[in-house]
Amino acid sequence: MGMKAQHRIATFFKYLVLILVGLVMIYPLLWMVSATFKENNEIFAGISLWIKNPTLQGYKDALNDYGGSINILTAMLNTYSYVIPKVICTVVSSAIAAYGFGRFNFVGKKVLFSIMISTLFLPQVVLNVPQFMLYNSLGWVDSPFYLAIWFHTLFATETYFVYQLIQFMRSIPIDLDEAAKIDGCNSFKILYKIICPMLMPALVSCALFQFMWSCNDFMGPLLYVATPTKYPMSIFVKLSMDADVGFSWNRVLALSLISILPQLIVFFAAQDQFVEGISAGGVKG
Amino acid sequence: MKKLLALLLALVMCCALLVGCGGNNNAAANDTAGDAATDDSAAGDAESVTYALSETPVSLSISWWGGDSRHSAYQDAIAAFVEATPSVEEVTVDFGAWSGWEDKMSTYFASGTAADVCQVNWNWLTSYSSQGQTFVDLNGLSEFLDLTQFDENALAQCTVAGALQCIPAAMTGRIFYWNSETFEKVGVAIPTTYEELIAAGQAFAEFEDGSYYPVALGEYDRMILMVYYLESIYGKDWVVDGALNYSEEEIIEGLEFIQSLEDNHVTPTVQQILGDGAESLDKNPKWMDGRYAGIFEWDSSASKFHGSLNNPDAFVVGDELGEGGFTKVSLGLAITKTCEHPAEAALLIDYLLNGDGAAIMGSQLGIPLSKSGLEAAGEAVDALTAEANSKVLATCTNALDPKFEDSSLKASDGVYYDVMSGLSYGDYSIEEAAQILIEGIEGVL
Amino acid sequence: MKNSVPQVQGRSPARKWLDNNLGLIYILPWIIGFCVFKAYPFGLSLFYSFTDMNFFNGISQYGIMNYIEIFNTAKITKALTVTAQYCLITVPLKLAFALFIAYILNFNIKFVNAFRTAYYVPSILGGSVAIAVLWKALFRDEGMVNTLLSYIGVQGPSWLSDPDYALFIICFLRIWQFGSAMVLFLAALKGVPADVYEAATIDGAGKWKQFFSITVPMITPVIFYNLVTQICQAFQEFNGPYIITNGGPRNSTTLVSLLVYRYAFQQNEMGMASAIAWVMFIICAALTIIAFTSQKKWVYYSDER
Repeated sequence: MGMKAQHRIATFFKYLVLILVGLVMIYPLLWMVSATFKENNEIFAGISLWIKNPTLQGYKDALNDYGGSINILTAMLNTYSYVIPKVICTVVSSAIAAYGFGRFNFVGKKVLFSIMISTLFLPQVVLNVPQFMLYNSLGWVDSPFYLAIWFHTLFATETYFVYQLIQFMRSIPIDLDEAAKIDGCNSFKILYKIICPMLMPALVSCALFQFMWSCNDFMGPLLYVATPTKYPMSIFVKLSMDADVGFSWNRVLALSLISILPQLIVFFAAQDQFVEGISAGGVKG
Repeated sequence: MKKLLALLLALVMCCALLVGCGGNNNAAANDTAGDAATDDSAAGDAESVTYALSETPVSLSISWWGGDSRHSAYQDAIAAFVEATPSVEEVTVDFGAWSGWEDKMSTYFASGTAADVCQVNWNWLTSYSSQGQTFVDLNGLSEFLDLTQFDENALAQCTVAGALQCIPAAMTGRIFYWNSETFEKVGVAIPTTYEELIAAGQAFAEFEDGSYYPVALGEYDRMILMVYYLESIYGKDWVVDGALNYSEEEIIEGLEFIQSLEDNHVTPTVQQILGDGAESLDKNPKWMDGRYAGIFEWDSSASKFHGSLNNPDAFVVGDELGEGGFTKVSLGLAITKTCEHPAEAALLIDYLLNGDGAAIMGSQLGIPLSKSGLEAAGEAVDALTAEANSKVLATCTNALDPKFEDSSLKASDGVYYDVMSGLSYGDYSIEEAAQILIEGIEGVL
Repeated sequence: MKNSVPQVQGRSPARKWLDNNLGLIYILPWIIGFCVFKAYPFGLSLFYSFTDMNFFNGISQYGIMNYIEIFNTAKITKALTVTAQYCLITVPLKLAFALFIAYILNFNIKFVNAFRTAYYVPSILGGSVAIAVLWKALFRDEGMVNTLLSYIGVQGPSWLSDPDYALFIICFLRIWQFGSAMVLFLAALKGVPADVYEAATIDGAGKWKQFFSITVPMITPVIFYNLVTQICQAFQEFNGPYIITNGGPRNSTTLVSLLVYRYAFQQNEMGMASAIAWVMFIICAALTIIAFTSQKKWVYYSDER
């Protein structure tokens, strides 16, 4: 039957497209993994993933100290020493702000809400210069605690997450709050006894996204971290490209791979939350 | 949803609201300006200060940039200094690679948080301390730091706003390094004149598939080579008394020379070098394996380029191709105004450059300019660097204006890069390039 | 909404007011954060843009000279043009790709989750320095992409050093991250009721016609959302050009955010940097406003109240 054959061809093409696009998406990453085990002259000799002369030299070199003051492990520790406070502060402060916007009426709510939403579209580039001046006058540039990078998240400045949480909160029935109120719960108790547990999946997804974005952040550390021993991963990887003598791609790629490994692990462990988070928060009208 | 429509409104409102706020910020901004002014006035009365060693042992800090070998030399020398100096109990260190280092230090200088002793690039004196606001006048510290070991002309180059702001560690200039193996393969002698260089290019063009080049020149290399070339013809300094000393015709001649290098297969185009995907020429695989058979670099980087060759034995320090070209203070050591113990800091500099420390430092900061330092360094001086340095000092006699290295000219989006890459990519004609170069330089002077 | 709790008698008016506006306490941190970290810098940058603010020398001059200089400096107008190009290339292509792939994935495909993961990984990692480094390795003259091209007999261009191609690889890096937009589309497509399609099939509408006359209109809110967020993000791209090409060759990949960075933090010209940022902001805001005003014409909200 023509109909059936046509259907089969259509299905075939669908899979073909999906696989081809999938290859474009994934192949560079696989190539990167294989290149870290190759010798330098082999890396660009072909595009195959097959490793003729496997070597761990790239990894050995990657673990060396750089400039005598920092190595990949300290860099990683440095990264997480601001990523983790940033994630925690963002989630807590965003949840509180979202609760305020989502569950209460107060004077000027409409105006404040609109302002909050409009900051979603405020490009960071505009703020960079004065923020730098501000942090500089506070002595936070090159602060040993990375204050300039994470402190502001204590104040729900990551609008995207506040907005997402407000969206989620709408799906939690108000009756629950009302019931709790009658039982004598004050508003704060309602937040952490009723709302937060219901909101857990959303909070987790916010935390995951903030984790990924903060790990990827490059400009923040570039501006606010100057001491080599305090360099985070992102700066460290960039620096590794202009190491002292010679240039070995396997070392640089191995370093790069190690730097994204924690993110990859987190992603694969929690990919459903990512997908859920991104699709649920997005658009409800 | 209506709420989404409200966003538009909010955006506009937000702008309006904050435009209003703008006015309030005058005060804050004026403060910043005021601070800068106070710094300036403080510079004036520095001369009256007398220095003395502290009675209790003090701690100092020092910062530098460099590669691994420089890092360990500094660390060893500092350890020896602390051992040998009872009045200093500790020296804390801060160091890293060059890239990004100046950005970092500029922040420190501005916020007054730089180390007591800083390794400084020569042009920093004019960039960050043009009024003497950042660095101490070292003339006042001659009791602790022997200035007689240094060439007076070199000290004069480090005198800005009437203050000796840093002690030059070494003088440096550019020189050619060649890969003799490649030249043998191609069958050309290593060039000793500009004519031979052009001739070598033509021979290289006919060798194999034409992927070999006698020399690889980046944008800034081209700029410096052009100045060397012009100075070897005209014999006059590039900039004299804050004015460009070369006419437009002369600069056009220089740019034509640079263009002829590309046309005659002497150097690959800027695009080719960029396409190699290396951060710098010493990491360029084509330099490492000899396809680029030469390089025009600072004498102080001899060991770096030597070490990156696959066959280091083929490394040859070339001769200058003409009588001319400039030397400059490669780097120096300075004491910041925020240093609490300038006398001890001066002792540290003296130790590193003149004293026993110089033996440990070897040629890590270049071939020591200090007479006693050079003597102390003795065997520790890298032979290749010493050879390059002596060749440079013998032929390059022109002086350099510190503004030559102003970041708006020298930075990777600065005028030199724009002119040289624009010429190479064919965006500018030679006349246009000369025009832009002259305007750019005059804008800075 | 829900503050109709019976008022306790005898409380002070202030306390009463507070009870009625309890929400303000919860958003207080946000208000502080907004004022200190957003509004104040925002206003200050506008103010700086009318000065010759320099990090070291402070302010010595006020006026609109920065704005005049912006339009007379080839480097800056070029950055604005390049940024516009970048947006025009990446935003539509990214959305088109995301929608197309989501559409295919929506046909009872086996291994949907595996495909979705594969497409989504790049958007998680794409912004990192590591991927920028990888990009540089892929697009070198002798990199993987050109090796691949040589297998099919094509002499690949010098991606990193040819001004005609360099922007393309920066764009490609962004388009490669279409996964997050795709996941959004996929969720939206799942929300289109199956009976609508059935009706259309009976009416004899082909797959493509269905796609454009049913699917697309039904998911316009998501398209709109993606459009706006993508525009905003595209204007802020920094890592790619900074690490892969450092803005070169011939400034062909100097996006505005990179230029602002250079002016502000390498040349310390904070005033000029702020002015450039503001020009960019105005363009970006104008586009957003256009998108919002135009949505009445093409965005269909099923739950219009």
